[in-house]
Amino acid sequence: MINFENVSCRVLKSISLNIPKGETVGLIGKSGAGKTTLIKLAGGLLAPESGRIFTLGKDPVENRNLYREKISVFIAGTPLLCRDDTVSQGFEIIRSVYGISKSDFAKRYEALSARLSFSKYGSEPVKNLSLGERMRAEIGAALIYEPELLILDEPNIGLDENAKFVLGQLLSERRGAGMTTLLSSHDMASVPKICSRIALLDKGELVFYGSTESLRSRYTPTNTMSLKIEGRLPDLEDLPLEKYSINGSAISLSYNSNHVTAAEILRTVLRQTAVSKVSIKKPDLEDLISKLRGSKNEFY
Amino acid sequence: MSLRPYLAYAKKIFLNRSAYRFDNVMGIISTCLQFFIFWEIYKALYGTSTDIDGITMPMVTTNFILSMGLGAIFSPDDYFLPSKIWDGSIATEFLRPISFKGRMIAENVGNALFNLLFRFLPCLIIALFTVGVNAPASPAMLALFVLSAVLGFGVLWTISFAVQMTAFWLINIWSLITIKNVLINVLSGSMIPLWFMPRELTAILNFMPFSSVYFTPVQIYLGQLSFEEIMLKCGIQLAWIIVIYLLGDILWRKGQKKLIVQGG
Repeated sequence: MINFENVSCRVLKSISLNIPKGETVGLIGKSGAGKTTLIKLAGGLLAPESGRIFTLGKDPVENRNLYREKISVFIAGTPLLCRDDTVSQGFEIIRSVYGISKSDFAKRYEALSARLSFSKYGSEPVKNLSLGERMRAEIGAALIYEPELLILDEPNIGLDENAKFVLGQLLSERRGAGMTTLLSSHDMASVPKICSRIALLDKGELVFYGSTESLRSRYTPTNTMSLKIEGRLPDLEDLPLEKYSINGSAISLSYNSNHVTAAEILRTVLRQTAVSKVSIKKPDLEDLISKLRGSKNEFY
Repeated sequence: MSLRPYLAYAKKIFLNRSAYRFDNVMGIISTCLQFFIFWEIYKALYGTSTDIDGITMPMVTTNFILSMGLGAIFSPDDYFLPSKIWDGSIATEFLRPISFKGRMIAENVGNALFNLLFRFLPCLIIALFTVGVNAPASPAMLALFVLSAVLGFGVLWTISFAVQMTAFWLINIWSLITIKNVLINVLSGSMIPLWFMPRELTAILNFMPFSSVYFTPVQIYLGQLSFEEIMLKCGIQLAWIIVIYLLGDILWRKGQKKLIVQGG
């Protein structure tokens, strides 16, 4: 869907990146890392200084008018809905611009406005809305014509937890229908939940690009498992654990997920004794990402 | 290309304008006030004489009513592009599958229609019952007046279009817009009828874009021009529309390129 070949532009330094169809890619990085620049390049709003970009197989700058119905770009801070219009007026304009039939559009509007809960201020001018209310309506506006490719810059700004959750839901539903999404965010906690892949930018360089799982196993392979044992304590000496401690009937152990899986550990334990409670804790991606960004040299 | 989105934009502007009733009433009052002030000044200047160089007071009155009335109809939004550059929404405009210029025209036409119905007509009726307006020279001249007025709107729009395009580089173009408006007001005959300008100046002004905005339609309405002259004048209007539009279009293309290289 999106292909970057050795692209340099402003802060970005020779970025190569391929986003396949149907993926939801989260772009994360500090302010000034080049997130918005990358988003604008992908959307054809900026021309690269060197390298080549293909969006939907074509140069996005040259072919801007050829596939506008297929792409939706929303950049936080630049409104999709006109300030003076009411919310429903703004959507009506979008309807006529994208040539969607009235009945189809009404169905989509009803569903989106209920889920992103902006139906109650449909007749309110956009300029009277609060930031969160406006963002919900704008996200609805970006989604309503059902693009093949959705590019969102900082869609989480001003959204409460519930709205973030709904956004994640909407994106995964659309992903099921074949939509590709590229979104950037500061919000480390929600991005891994929403996205299937993470692209991590640091000072204009792409320091990581891959699935959230591979990010996890590559940089924080250590998981911890807590077990509550019923009966005799098991012998764990044969397992390649990093460490374990026993406290009464409770065992707490940590292991490298690249060397041993949770299933193998459990199989060994269950062969020897009964277990009443198991919990596995994976490291927070949020912690990991801030660690990655904070001390890049540790990893590269 | 479907016309529907453009009609939607025109309709939207029309409806948005009707929401501000107070502003509309004040708009009618301000247009009338402007007219009566100029009318009083010229009445005092005329004193007891019936005509000056063959120009009678009713002709002057008609000139003011028509040019100010047309001025009230033609009010292109000079900040259409600049405001979109200021808030960055120009970027999202580029991504819409419709023509930005087409949308600009559509919104201005919607606005002009609103002004025609709710500003020009009320003012015309007030003027008819107070000072009186000359009847058009003939029905044919009335039709040609409308044609020429539409072309005049085209000239005014392209001037506004070209001036707005400079906002890609200058960002804040309030001063340029003000200069443009002063030039139009003074040189188009809506403040000083061009009959009273020095002969040498009129010869130049006749070929300038400004006079073709208001003064050409007024002259046609009053029956001052022969058919050949009307064709020439309308030709001049058309020529200016093409020239200024092409100029503005070059700026528009370069401006887009600049935005894509340097970012919005």
